[in-house]
Amino acid sequence: MANLKDIRNRIKSVKSIQKVTKAMKMVAAAKMRRAQERMEEARPFENRLTDTINHLLPDVDRDLLELLDIREINRIGYVVVTSDRGMAGSFNTNILKTAQNEIDIIGKNKVDVFCIGKKARDHFKRRDYHIISSHVDFWSELEYSNAISICEGIISHFTDKHVDKIHVVYNEFINVATQHVQSEVLLPLVFDGDENQFSGKLYEPNKDDIIKSLIPRHLNIQMWKYLLESYSSEQAARMLAMENATENAQEMIKDLTLEFNKARQAAITTEMLEIVSGAEALKG
Amino acid sequence: MSSFQLEIVTPTKVSDEGQVEYVRCPGLDGSFGVMASHREAIIALGIGEIKVTQNGKDHFLATSGGFTEITKEKVELLLETYERTEEIDTSRAENALKRAEERIKARETDAIRNKAALERAVNRLRVSKR
Repeated sequence: MANLKDIRNRIKSVKSIQKVTKAMKMVAAAKMRRAQERMEEARPFENRLTDTINHLLPDVDRDLLELLDIREINRIGYVVVTSDRGMAGSFNTNILKTAQNEIDIIGKNKVDVFCIGKKARDHFKRRDYHIISSHVDFWSELEYSNAISICEGIISHFTDKHVDKIHVVYNEFINVATQHVQSEVLLPLVFDGDENQFSGKLYEPNKDDIIKSLIPRHLNIQMWKYLLESYSSEQAARMLAMENATENAQEMIKDLTLEFNKARQAAITTEMLEIVSGAEALKG
Repeated sequence: MSSFQLEIVTPTKVSDEGQVEYVRCPGLDGSFGVMASHREAIIALGIGEIKVTQNGKDHFLATSGGFTEITKEKVELLLETYERTEEIDTSRAENALKRAEERIKARETDAIRNKAALERAVNRLRVSKR
């Protein structure tokens, strides 16, 4: 049986780890809430932008818009959104598994990868995939400009005809307990374009140029949404993972305490026996 | 002077600016002004400076573009990013300017991107001096 001091030390270390996981859970919860607020805040802009584009699109010659260009598919781009840090359960594993499966079906040498987050970069680099660019170390100070700069690279890669289609793989935030891995087509963009109603509005400079300047911005806000979804999911996953860790620690403390008590009891019993038998010997 | 309602919507917030008398925006091919009872319109905006006159006082914003929708009720500026004069970090803008100039000098690929970065930096510096 382990001696008392060892058990006491183990209890102490488990307790301090529990404190850490508890704190991490709280931090993740706060970050998740903030990310959800930001998703809410992005909605008005996104809706207005989409409405306007849909409103203008029926009047615009689609051939002018290279981002709507549907081409024969030779190469495909994949944007994989992961986190920089682990400790979030199966969050990154799920994403990477899905992304890699899809890429392998198409063929590794036909796919260009854009890595977002350290985990994606490390994963695909190690396996020698064709990486175009990686964006890492921005999650802690996530800002709209990150979405813009990520999009710039992706857009130019598409318009330069290096790839004919771009997919995004990210974690969609459903609720705290559920996040779904989603794989969506980012480019070429698809718009429904609602029935055009006549309006006496003034369009400056003209509808074509308005659309041309708005579509890249639409892509930016789309990317912003992916980033926020992924960030919320990451924090939710971490929250859950840390909660489990805290519970496990509690369980371990319980077991160790029991073991400690047993060991102590055994020690006391042995001592008593020794005293009694010593007294017996003196009497004798 | 008659006034109208101005709202600025960005991906990170919606801010109600209240009643203003005049707005000057950087359209894609030149600045234009908006006063009360303007005709309904949708106008694309480029990188530039926005001037807002509220209670006789002028305020300036630097924006990287977006669009504006003018309706009978109000004027909405949908901007990707904007900064007020007092919010602009001049040293950051100066660094960005330097970086963009160097890139253009080195003739790095993606000339359009570099030019846009340069324009944004110059614009922010200009507005910061307002």
